[in-house]
Amino acid sequence: MALTPAGLLAQAAEAANQSTVSIPAYGSFPAPGSRVAIWVAAQVHLFFAAFVLGVPMFAVVAEAIGIFGNDSKYDKLAKEFTRLLLVSYSATAIWGAILSFGLITLYPGLWNYLARIFAPSMWVYVGLFFFESFTLYLYYYGWERWHDGRAKLMHWSLGILLNVWGTAVMFIANSWLTFMMSPPAEVVPDTAPEMVRFWSAFANATWMPINVHRMIANVVFGGAIVGAYAAYRFLTSKTDEERAHYDWMGYVGNMIAIGALIILPFAGYYLGREIYEYNQQMGITMMGGFMSWLWIIQAFLIGVLFLAGNYYLWVGMGRIPGAERYMPYTKWMLVVLVLGVIVWATPHTMIANRDELAAMGGTHHPFLGVLGVMSAKNTAVNLMILTTFLSFLLYRRANKRTVVSWARTGTMIQTVIFVLAAAIVLFYGVYGYFVTAIVRIGFSVYQVLAVLAAIGGVVTLDIMIMRGAESYGAIRWGQMPPRSQYALFILAVTFTWLMGLMGFARSGIRQHWHIWEVMRDTSEFAATPPLGYAAQVISWCVVIFLGLVGFIFWVGSLAEKPIMSHRRQDSLPPTDSRLASAPTGN
Amino acid sequence: MWQTNLKILLVVLGTIGLYTWVASAIPQVASEVPEELMFSNDVTANDLVMAGEQLFAGAGTCTACHGLGTRAPNLLTDHAGEGTIGQRCGTRVSGLDCKAYLQASMTEPAAFVVEGFPEMVFQARAFSDAQIWSLVAFLQSQGGEVTVTGDDMERAADAADGTSAPAEPSGGSPVAASQTTDARVLLQENLCLGCHAIDGAGPPLGPNFDDIGGARTAEQIRKGILDPSADAAPGFDAMLGVMPATFGQSLSATQLEAIVTFLAARK
Repeated sequence: MALTPAGLLAQAAEAANQSTVSIPAYGSFPAPGSRVAIWVAAQVHLFFAAFVLGVPMFAVVAEAIGIFGNDSKYDKLAKEFTRLLLVSYSATAIWGAILSFGLITLYPGLWNYLARIFAPSMWVYVGLFFFESFTLYLYYYGWERWHDGRAKLMHWSLGILLNVWGTAVMFIANSWLTFMMSPPAEVVPDTAPEMVRFWSAFANATWMPINVHRMIANVVFGGAIVGAYAAYRFLTSKTDEERAHYDWMGYVGNMIAIGALIILPFAGYYLGREIYEYNQQMGITMMGGFMSWLWIIQAFLIGVLFLAGNYYLWVGMGRIPGAERYMPYTKWMLVVLVLGVIVWATPHTMIANRDELAAMGGTHHPFLGVLGVMSAKNTAVNLMILTTFLSFLLYRRANKRTVVSWARTGTMIQTVIFVLAAAIVLFYGVYGYFVTAIVRIGFSVYQVLAVLAAIGGVVTLDIMIMRGAESYGAIRWGQMPPRSQYALFILAVTFTWLMGLMGFARSGIRQHWHIWEVMRDTSEFAATPPLGYAAQVISWCVVIFLGLVGFIFWVGSLAEKPIMSHRRQDSLPPTDSRLASAPTGN
Repeated sequence: MWQTNLKILLVVLGTIGLYTWVASAIPQVASEVPEELMFSNDVTANDLVMAGEQLFAGAGTCTACHGLGTRAPNLLTDHAGEGTIGQRCGTRVSGLDCKAYLQASMTEPAAFVVEGFPEMVFQARAFSDAQIWSLVAFLQSQGGEVTVTGDDMERAADAADGTSAPAEPSGGSPVAASQTTDARVLLQENLCLGCHAIDGAGPPLGPNFDDIGGARTAEQIRKGILDPSADAAPGFDAMLGVMPATFGQSLSATQLEAIVTFLAARK
């Protein structure tokens, strides 16, 4: 439409007459109330959605390894991943329907407003969901039929297509929720929804950061749930064959989860930065306002993840011949991780009343306050990431004997890269205390780049060093102590709980706004509750989700049992060094 | 088998219980909704101060920055040897008394940035006039005399209703409408001067009003006011999207033309 003065004035007058965001009407829900009902529906839907979006990503990668590496074990693993997916799909749709009906009946004003802006994308969403569902059916049920030659490649393409549909569905849904967080600046309370430009609302300030963050987090989450599934099957296995298979599957799930977790903080940093760019008040509310304690809980949870993930690897080295030579290092890695968690979980600038300030002797604790600043925390988390990467590296090398002539030199170069990266991280961590905040924030980029460069450089070298490596002996799959499997359960529960906590953070920073500074929440539940209350709701969501997942997996296993009992020998997991190196693509 | 299941259940529930306990054991801070304040004309200074204090320490989230000494100046304690905010507010800007300075600081934070600190992120449009004035009263009470009265709020409310000229300086909503057709008053009322400099003074966040008539035609100025996100003025690409797109609704056609004519003539 041409922008003439008369046209613009007419447009403005029409907008004023149509008026606008009226006070939303609310429905009611019996105890515990509308807010908790929507909260639980949204969170459980999100848990399932994250699982069914994350698993196809590594299922298709596993299938590719099977095809191009000519290794049928990976193909069977991919199919088993997809079987878990299939039975979880309907639960995702059911909880999506519960969420939609909940919004329509309990928050009709908000729903109406969003629908008037996003209606076209809602129809596209439904269409994509349809395609996604039927692509999944073809992908799973066609597995055995399209098993060889070109048909297999076509089948693999279906897996890729499944990921394309799923990602597009997620991107659309993300636009709705991120619009609530960061509506474009031109949208104000008086703006009629019809006057909001669709693309401006769709591709809002936090849309792409959330897309990136969720894609990675879905992989982490999917890996963790698959790991827990494998752990359960390991613990209840009747035969060594089954135990070996599920030990391997649990290892792969954990590798995927922890591997993706390592890069997740960088996506989180991107999201946080965009939130600050969009609205500093929102950023300060998130990091330094009433939510400041939430990040201490987050640090505690991520500390558990790092410790449990590394513990699983260290215990797993017990079943790898040749790993004994690396075992003495684990206690030092444990020391670094524990110190890292302690520093990361140190509070600093909290909202405090006068009594609390008096008790502390100031706004910061005289000693711990020094550790609570971002310089120390960034340093701690980067060193924890380096340490975890070192665990993976040692695990990968455990049963290999190098044959290349320059192996010793290569290992020394790797060591130098590690030391250099740690030195850069430490240098900027200490230097950060002597510069202004804005300069200090920039330092975290250098720290991250140093760690990423080290990971890339060391992996590249390792692939070259291990070329043609001999084996110290077969990995004894299935010979894992049961306690290692409980670490996988703790990982899955912690990832799930952490997702719930971050969901509360993302939604809670809107405070008493349905749509930030555009549509006010005038319901009786407008105030954002404290962490203790939120924790109870999150825990209920986690219990509901894990309960349903347990039931779904159990139902799935009923049909699968005869297959397992007739598993052929060629479906056993690999027992040589190929497996340990597989996740890094070697 | 059942023993294994029981162990798994205990590990899962124990982990969930641990996290719930930890999150419940830390200090519990909620984000309250700013209370809608209604004051009669004879409201006492004490009532205003009490309401302001509640807002300052609670839903206003002021303490997230003020009081830490790093993100924003201390208000309740001494800052840079100038005393508390009630003691220093009257001398911060020449020509503005304490009340006017505090009120303008909240409605036009970009105009009064304290040296050494970033611009305040307080969003005035999220608060009502009564809430802003109660905050002013509370801050005045920190070492100074409270001069806010019910009349201040009544004038602001009338200005928002369009029944009279606003209190000077204006408070509350950045798009509070009045009937005036004086372009300078309209620029002041609509907080344009929070971003645009005029008469050689003001922040350079948008095109300077002193010579805008030489750089932009009346048509371009009008379009820029009505649809500011459509196109950025030369050199201000980074600020695209910052200017509210509401003036087409809040200004009358006469007021809009008064502003356009006024600005187009400034060459």
